[in-house]
Amino acid sequence: MRKFLFAVVVFLGGVVLPGFARDAGAAISLEKCTLCHGKPEFRKLLVDGAIRDLFVTGDSLKGSVHEKKGCTDCHFDVNEIPHRERPKRVTCTHCHYKGNREGAPQSDNVLAYFDSAHGKAIAAGNAKAPLCQDCHGSHQILKVKNPESKVSRFKVAETCGRCHMEIYAKYKTSIHGVALSKGIADAPSCTGCHGEHRIYAHTDPKSTVYPTRVSEQCSKCHASVAIMSKFGIETEQVATYNESFHGVASKFGSRTVANCASCHGVHDIRPPDDPLSTVNPRNIPKTCGKCHPGANANFAVGKIHVDAKKKESGIIYWTATFFKYLTICTMLALIVHIFLDMYGRTRRLRGER
Amino acid sequence: MSRADLAAGKVIRMSLRFRLQHFLLMMLLLVLAVTGFALMYHDNALAQAIIRIEGGVQNRGVVHRIAAVLLLANLVYHIFYMLFSREGKAEFRELLVTRRDVDDFLQALRYNLGTEKEYPRFGKYGYREKFQYWGATVGILLIGFTGFMLWAETFSMRFFPKFILDLALIIHGYQGLLGFVLLFLWHLYNVHLHPSVFPMNPAWLTGKVSTEWLRREHPLEYEKLKGEGLL
Repeated sequence: MRKFLFAVVVFLGGVVLPGFARDAGAAISLEKCTLCHGKPEFRKLLVDGAIRDLFVTGDSLKGSVHEKKGCTDCHFDVNEIPHRERPKRVTCTHCHYKGNREGAPQSDNVLAYFDSAHGKAIAAGNAKAPLCQDCHGSHQILKVKNPESKVSRFKVAETCGRCHMEIYAKYKTSIHGVALSKGIADAPSCTGCHGEHRIYAHTDPKSTVYPTRVSEQCSKCHASVAIMSKFGIETEQVATYNESFHGVASKFGSRTVANCASCHGVHDIRPPDDPLSTVNPRNIPKTCGKCHPGANANFAVGKIHVDAKKKESGIIYWTATFFKYLTICTMLALIVHIFLDMYGRTRRLRGER
Repeated sequence: MSRADLAAGKVIRMSLRFRLQHFLLMMLLLVLAVTGFALMYHDNALAQAIIRIEGGVQNRGVVHRIAAVLLLANLVYHIFYMLFSREGKAEFRELLVTRRDVDDFLQALRYNLGTEKEYPRFGKYGYREKFQYWGATVGILLIGFTGFMLWAETFSMRFFPKFILDLALIIHGYQGLLGFVLLFLWHLYNVHLHPSVFPMNPAWLTGKVSTEWLRREHPLEYEKLKGEGLL
């Protein structure tokens, strides 16, 4: 019996104690880190002359989603103080995976990320490609709903723009960028069109902005009366595009035919009355000329997104309507003629007999 | 008319040249209709299947244009043949629309309604044939014009604003539809379903019709041939 109890104690000890030991060993207290990192002048001069600020205090995580975590929860390669080597970049996947038991959100976004253009670039050895913390931040990671978050609707463009500078500059002055800066939450930021973790190159068929999928992506908002009515923008643009030569060709898989972005621009979309807009009547010859060499001002005469079924289309509507009734009347007249003729023919046959 | 034909009671109605032109016209119109309507009704599942069979929307356009060029070539050949060959000139005279055709049509209508005792007597081509012939010729010229306008869209827009091309597209599509309504409810009725020819007038294949049919349906032509001693 005593032997059995001993065995139980040893077994339980084997199970429980290593946990205690790890906690005791790993959770180096904040005070120890701030001995050095808590000094405001604690910084390092890098070989290229830049200064790396190493100032961290107990407030650094305050308000962030990791508020309750300690330094070594993420910097878990630091196991002695002072650490001799520079700690490695934090690996978020340590906790952030589906099925984790650390209390992190149950999400597979990290897998989606590794499949994305950014993840592939990292895997290919591109040191400039972004890791989680490049977009989400390091110590001050906030929930996406929080307007102060680096990945919030209103801030994400700035975050992407840290690397994609030229695109950010174009976007900032585009109708979407301007609307967003005015606080209109319906306007898309980068992620609105490109996706978040699943960002692919526009040449990748999986991309939400792959040529044949652009109209589908734009139509998510532009076909919605609920959204567009707020801004007085027509919603039939998508439907008329789908009915046009361009739309039909795109639907059947043509990658060279014009989609929304071919004419309206990509990041630099502006309203048509803006002189810088690619669809401003004065710029239309140039815009159409990208695919139709020699396009002239005639390309701008007449509505582009024309719907023959709508009265506002004027002569086009009336011509279509005229032909519709002409065809129906012709059919009816011919059918009547056939019956009359057969009837008459039967009479003639009877007469001849 | 060969002796064998006469013995069998047959008269030549379409020479080989006309049969070939007619056959080409028929095949090309079918190709144009299949490729054209597939685009016009691209939301329809059958249309989508047809476009896939044709090798996508790009190839569909290529097929449509090849057929269109051949059709126009056929038409140009036909016009030259009708205007400058001996056989063509004779046919052309037969096909000219006169006041008489209008009267014939009205008389046939009255007869069918029962207010006229006599059915009109037709020459080689009655109002049915003439309407079909001129309808097809003028229709092909017009649909060809809008078609080429849309084909060379940048060139067209040197002269026309964009909305004229939108209009051309509408007209092109509806005209094709109207053309096929006429083909089915007028031409196919006349040469297949009409009681005198049912199930088919064989002229488009053999070139010949029976002398008896000619006497009943085209009495003036019958009498003319008789008068010339050809029967």
